[in-house]
Amino acid sequence: MYKLLKSVTGETKSVLKDGTTSIPFNPDNTDYQTYLAWLAEGNTPLLADAT
Amino acid sequence: MTVSISGTDGVTFNDSSVQTTAAKVGMVNRIINGAMVNDQRNAGASVTANDGIYTLDRWYFNAWQNGKGTIQRSTTAPTGFINSLLFTSTSAYTVGVGETFDFQQKVEGLNITDLAWGTANAATVTLSFWVRSSLTGTFGGALQNSAQNRFYVFSYTINAANTFEYKTITIEGDQSGTWLTTNGIGILLNINLASGANYQTTAGSWGAGAKASVTGQTSVVGTNGATWFITGVQLEKGSTATSFDFRSIGTELALCQRYYYLLSAATNVNTFFHPVAGYTTTAAVGTVSFPQMLRTGPSLVTSGTASNYRVLMGGAFITCSSVPTIDQTGPSSVSLIYTVASGMTVGYGGNSAANGSTSAILGFSAEL
Repeated sequence: MYKLLKSVTGETKSVLKDGTTSIPFNPDNTDYQTYLAWLAEGNTPLLADAT
Repeated sequence: MTVSISGTDGVTFNDSSVQTTAAKVGMVNRIINGAMVNDQRNAGASVTANDGIYTLDRWYFNAWQNGKGTIQRSTTAPTGFINSLLFTSTSAYTVGVGETFDFQQKVEGLNITDLAWGTANAATVTLSFWVRSSLTGTFGGALQNSAQNRFYVFSYTINAANTFEYKTITIEGDQSGTWLTTNGIGILLNINLASGANYQTTAGSWGAGAKASVTGQTSVVGTNGATWFITGVQLEKGSTATSFDFRSIGTELALCQRYYYLLSAATNVNTFFHPVAGYTTTAAVGTVSFPQMLRTGPSLVTSGTASNYRVLMGGAFITCSSVPTIDQTGPSSVSLIYTVASGMTVGYGGNSAANGSTSAILGFSAEL
């Protein structure tokens, strides 16, 4: 499962996978590519915690 | 000093040593960690052979079924090597026609630019390795491109059980298809352990698609307790297999760290990771600079347990309430966020640390 993360300035620029791996929104990052494929299948990540 | 040059024998030096072929320079072996010495993630421990995991550095396991074996860095090796990659089957699984089990190394495109694959000038390459198995018979694998719509299946035979054998395969470069010369996948080396008919074909020629091995591939996962070892994997330009390109341990580790860099509580001095500063009363931020430029901005791998991590600030350790996460990422450094329930001071300096748990890691993955 994926959960959106917020930066210290409140922007959403990464996502947490399975509670262990923090994945940046970087097109060259293969974990991010896998996340995009997961989204394309119609899945939705959990929202980020309120800051 | 006397040096004799012969068109037949090559160059003979005055100490009677002979050089029969031109010496290769540069990155002869395009495979990283071909001698299986670096194992940052598991440090020699056995892991369950599940799909999609990196095992020894740079070696990825692709499996259509999880848990059909274990993977480990072994000290069983042929003369001149100290390690091998070991797969041990833990069941007698019958592979489906649409299934495949493979070790893969995804060679970065920037490391194969001189091969000119996908053009009329495509260079020939030679794959060589040492392999050993409790099984004998026909085995194979394939070279594929990034899109996995071009393949070359190769075949080798293990003649004697439980004996390391040296194999070489020469492959003419592919003049068709798209072969990336970027920081994406240039060549995907696929070494097959078992496959169904859909992934098998005749060896020895280029084709369109994603075949993984040769027709008649022996199934390592089909025999409970079967073992398969490999080391000395080399992929080099040219039509001759030369001796293994031994690089210094520092050089080889640095090559691995372009794709995965580990800070571990098990090996880090005093289990401190890196300096941080209080950003709010519940969050500290700090930067990790990498010893190598990574392939791209990495993901951060943690133990998954928040309490494994803590921050030393204002003379006290404060245990984290969430695992560390990425704030900003780039190929030369990342900044991380450490979140706690309370107790930090804005502007205070500190250090991130493990909480006495050797499972606490900061792994930075820029794998292909």
